[in-house]
Amino acid sequence: MTIHNDSEFKSALDRLPVAEQRKLAARFAQSVSPLCKDSRVTAAIDAGLQPVVGDDKLMPFYNAVRGVCVESYTECGHVADWTNQAGHFVAEAAAACVMPEVALHGANPAWDAAMRARLARTCASIANGSGTDTSEVENQYHLLDDYLNE
Amino acid sequence: MSSKALAHGINAFVEQIDRPVASFFNSCVHCGMCADACLFYTETGDPKYTPIHKLEPMRKVWKQNFTFWGWLAARLGLSKPVTDSELEEWEPLIYDSCTLCGRCSLVCPVGNDITYMIRKAREGMVAAGHAPPGLKGATIRAVEIGSPMGVTWKTVQAQIKHTEEDTGLRIPVDQKGAEYMVIMSSMEIVNFPEYLGSIARIFKEAGISWTICSDATEATNSGIQIGSSDIAAQLVQRIVDGAEKLGVKYVISPECGHAYTAIRWEGPNLIGRPYPFKVIHILELLDQLREQGRLRTEGTETARMSFHDPCQLVRRGGLVEQPRRLLKMVASNYVDMPDPGIWNWCCGGGGGVSANDRADPLQLRVFSRKKSQLDDARVETLVTCCANCRIVLEDGLEHYQMAIPVVGLTETLAKHLVTAPQETAKTDADQGEG
Repeated sequence: MTIHNDSEFKSALDRLPVAEQRKLAARFAQSVSPLCKDSRVTAAIDAGLQPVVGDDKLMPFYNAVRGVCVESYTECGHVADWTNQAGHFVAEAAAACVMPEVALHGANPAWDAAMRARLARTCASIANGSGTDTSEVENQYHLLDDYLNE
Repeated sequence: MSSKALAHGINAFVEQIDRPVASFFNSCVHCGMCADACLFYTETGDPKYTPIHKLEPMRKVWKQNFTFWGWLAARLGLSKPVTDSELEEWEPLIYDSCTLCGRCSLVCPVGNDITYMIRKAREGMVAAGHAPPGLKGATIRAVEIGSPMGVTWKTVQAQIKHTEEDTGLRIPVDQKGAEYMVIMSSMEIVNFPEYLGSIARIFKEAGISWTICSDATEATNSGIQIGSSDIAAQLVQRIVDGAEKLGVKYVISPECGHAYTAIRWEGPNLIGRPYPFKVIHILELLDQLREQGRLRTEGTETARMSFHDPCQLVRRGGLVEQPRRLLKMVASNYVDMPDPGIWNWCCGGGGGVSANDRADPLQLRVFSRKKSQLDDARVETLVTCCANCRIVLEDGLEHYQMAIPVVGLTETLAKHLVTAPQETAKTDADQGEG
């Protein structure tokens, strides 16, 4: 494996063009997709896995998945349900992979999706009582390695 | 409800009528200007949302107990006492349609602090058993668990660990003698953990000595929102105890509106003594660092950006220029919305409204004001510095199908932070155990 830490991980992601960052974002989101059952999230991840598509094609997926993100926020003063919160971060990871270029403003969709996917895994591990599952980090290094070696 | 609880509630109203409240009722000239300042009146046109009208049960108690003619009329049976059904009818007016935003107090021509009066009226309402179930639940969790959202220290630790991995920086916990103690809202732990990562990065570059206190992470104060000074004092005391234990010089209030009101402005009065430390809002600190050249950014956002002023921080807290100076560091196309700064319109979810599900439809309806502000200024990205505002704004934007991203100010600055060479960061990460 050529990726050993986040510094190498981020540098490698930054070297990729946006279209490839988007594909990797979709892979990172896909890895945690079982934590969210919403079909709008699955559709967004599937769209992100497709070959290069324009903003006009991405926008409906982005708008739909942003709806999931907003609906799944835990509002102020409400009990945090960590299983739902895991789903929220999966939706945010999915949103990163279909975010139209006009809205990116220099952001790296793959890095954003990776961080959101890790949060989803953390929330799921809080929900099951352990709160310390960091397996997603290694998994993401492998996913990037595999992608770079394809 | 029992007559005993009603009597308790009425007594609580009587106790809350201090000299300011009595003089405010006495000096109200019924001009109606507070109506035009209130989001809930302007967006619905319903006169029941006139701020001073929301205080009618309290006004009745004042008149019957503190004025000669009112007292006489009550004794002669010419005016009826406040009933439980009256309190029940007024509960949504006091809790669902008031965000304690303070705009009514700002416009009152005779200087009545109507927000202060609503806050006092809530004390009577909660004593009489009339508070929204959602807010009651949040308050119970704040007392019993330490967080209105049920966030435990174990959960905070999990998010700290995530942040350490994300940033490569150590998050200091229970460091005695640190200069600054960071407190957070549960919203930042649950929904916006990037806040913690952002301050960790900024503080590292600025050379700030800081810590989190494991006994006092929570900044929010449900006691303030529901109207229970006893509970509010208990929640403030936890932070004070934590800060005193660690011997910090400053407590940093986070991106949360009412937390700032609670810990900065009401706290010392609630616990009955001055603090041995200072409270500073995160934006005040960041603005100081900017001025000292310790907060440096690079690059700018090109989108047309605007700032939503959280009522408790800006109108009621005085942080008007700091967020604008900070945002202009990274926004090349900044624009104010109509009625900026102290005149800003509330998001519609402050003062405990967002913890109250019953108020959801009304909250979305009054968001029409924010929509028109955003439309007028043709805003492309909205920045704010209150986690609750942020979610209420996102909810409203989704409802009105407006594709405007909402971001936190601290994380926006962190995104553009000029960082030290990589080796330094690695060294710091290597030392970290969290």
